Amino acid sequence: MTVTLAIPSKGRLKDNALAKLAAAGLDVVQPEDSRSYRARIAGRDDIDVLLLSASEIARELGQGAVDLGVTGEDVLREAVAEVDSRAEILARLGFGFADVVVAVPDVWLDVETMADLDDVAADFRQRHGRRMRIATKYWRLTQQFFSQLHGIQVYRIVESLGATEGAPAAGSADLIVDITTTGSTLRANNLKVLEDGVILRSQACLVAAVKDRSPADRATIEDLRARMGAG
Amino acid sequence: MTWRTPSFAPDILALFAERGAPRIDVPVLQPADPFLDMAGEDLRRRIFLTESETGEALCLRPEFTIPVCLDHIASRATTPQRYAYLGEVFRQRREGGNEFFQAGIEDLGETDIATADARSVADAHALLSRLLPDAALVVTLGDQSLFEAVLAALGLPRGWQKRLARAFGSPAALESALTDLANPPRAAALDDEAASLVAASDAGALAALVEARMEAVGMSPHLGRSPEEVARRLMEKSDLRAVRLSDDAFAALRRFLAIRVPLSEAAAALASFASDAKLSFDAALGRFDARAASLAANGLDAERIVYDAAFGRPLDYYTGLVFEVGLPDASRPLAGGGRYDRLLTLLGAKQPIPGVGFSVWLDRIAEARGEPA
Repeated sequence: MTVTLAIPSKGRLKDNALAKLAAAGLDVVQPEDSRSYRARIAGRDDIDVLLLSASEIARELGQGAVDLGVTGEDVLREAVAEVDSRAEILARLGFGFADVVVAVPDVWLDVETMADLDDVAADFRQRHGRRMRIATKYWRLTQQFFSQLHGIQVYRIVESLGATEGAPAAGSADLIVDITTTGSTLRANNLKVLEDGVILRSQACLVAAVKDRSPADRATIEDLRARMGAG
Repeated sequence: MTWRTPSFAPDILALFAERGAPRIDVPVLQPADPFLDMAGEDLRRRIFLTESETGEALCLRPEFTIPVCLDHIASRATTPQRYAYLGEVFRQRREGGNEFFQAGIEDLGETDIATADARSVADAHALLSRLLPDAALVVTLGDQSLFEAVLAALGLPRGWQKRLARAFGSPAALESALTDLANPPRAAALDDEAASLVAASDAGALAALVEARMEAVGMSPHLGRSPEEVARRLMEKSDLRAVRLSDDAFAALRRFLAIRVPLSEAAAALASFASDAKLSFDAALGRFDARAASLAANGLDAERIVYDAAFGRPLDYYTGLVFEVGLPDASRPLAGGGRYDRLLTLLGAKQPIPGVGFSVWLDRIAEARGEPA
């Protein structure tokens, strides 16, 4: 029996994931054909490695199509509905840090908290003939945070596929929900994070899909958790 | 094959005809925006969304009230007008199927509010009584406008009234609003320039400052929130910090929200609350009493109607009556309804059109009748 482990196929996430695996004594042998997305781990026939994009990894975990994956918690929680019943975070890996935050224009001097935003949203339609608009690519996280946690119902999400932080200045949205690491991009776009506006402090995680497995596969997964969670 | 339409659908249609509400049909495929605009983004994960080739967001109708109102506006129908419907609605549900039947009546444009409210409750009750003749139906009744009148009578600042009014019907939101009001926020972290204008209560100069800063960063002052709006709200926040929700007001609010009595005792309970708390909200009480009288005139037993002062729906287009009809001790109601005087204007009607309506869940009725849903 083997378990499948999906790791990011490119960029810093991939490099960090490979380094983390190597430090745990798991050397990923990359395919000779660089177009192939299958790899293996030296000396470990019980593990198949797949190279996928971070969001694909999250979706495949949600469907149970792979056993294990390295992906950002933000991507996982956004891509998978009812994630806690479908996937389990085995280890937080100490890289890929990103906060998902609610950010509004600096010039909204009167808005510092979600309660302020609730006030603004309630009057928005009456004042402007439309609901308050939030640009984001995290519609699930936004909706959970606004509607379920803070009871703010009346707003609209504008899906944004890139340069989300430019949306308020461009007038296509009033505020944004996006990831930030240092906050410099937000500052450069004259946006500020609300005091209680951190939706999720995310980092790369080792995640297991929840499903029935053979004792051998369970042992393999437990071994990976112990190695990856260690350092 | 089996028919999906419940066996008792003809009985419902017969009752609609008897009660003088003509049936309307609306398309299954509806523009999605009105639903998301009215009910909020939370609805997005509960409806079935699709897209036309040109990118228009469409959904399978998740309910009838909005489509019926849109149809009324589009056809420029005269008022008052009652519309009865029976058909399938589509929602992603944890329990039960994703497509199920609803029936109900929307009553648009009737300006005699008490009469229309009572008729809506009576219609829902008559429908359920016919389908469940042996059931001991219980009506729960709430009133958004009465709550708002109490808030106004307490002399709360307008911002607080609005915050509490929109939390009405959601115990968690109401509790969190009350907690916030008992602990007013600390001063805003403002830069010196803005802080001094707030201290000087100079809203004009504050707006000018905000506008200058918007222009400096290339934000149009006309696309979203205006400089005046930001300045005015900043001044309001500063004023609110000086006010505390007094212990008396706090206690009065809690006492009001705890009122839950048979409708037959509601007038006395409200009157004693008003006199103990030394509050006056006679106009709202008058409307409440007129509705109660109208309910009695419709033959509804005031002993079997419960008035619950905290019962409401946290959606901004509900304005007055809200009600549910169900079986005693059942967790889910069989019928729900309410008054939505703001809905038609929000949906684009040129003139305000009052509206009240209810909807019954046919799958729950089938279950109560012991039939397959």
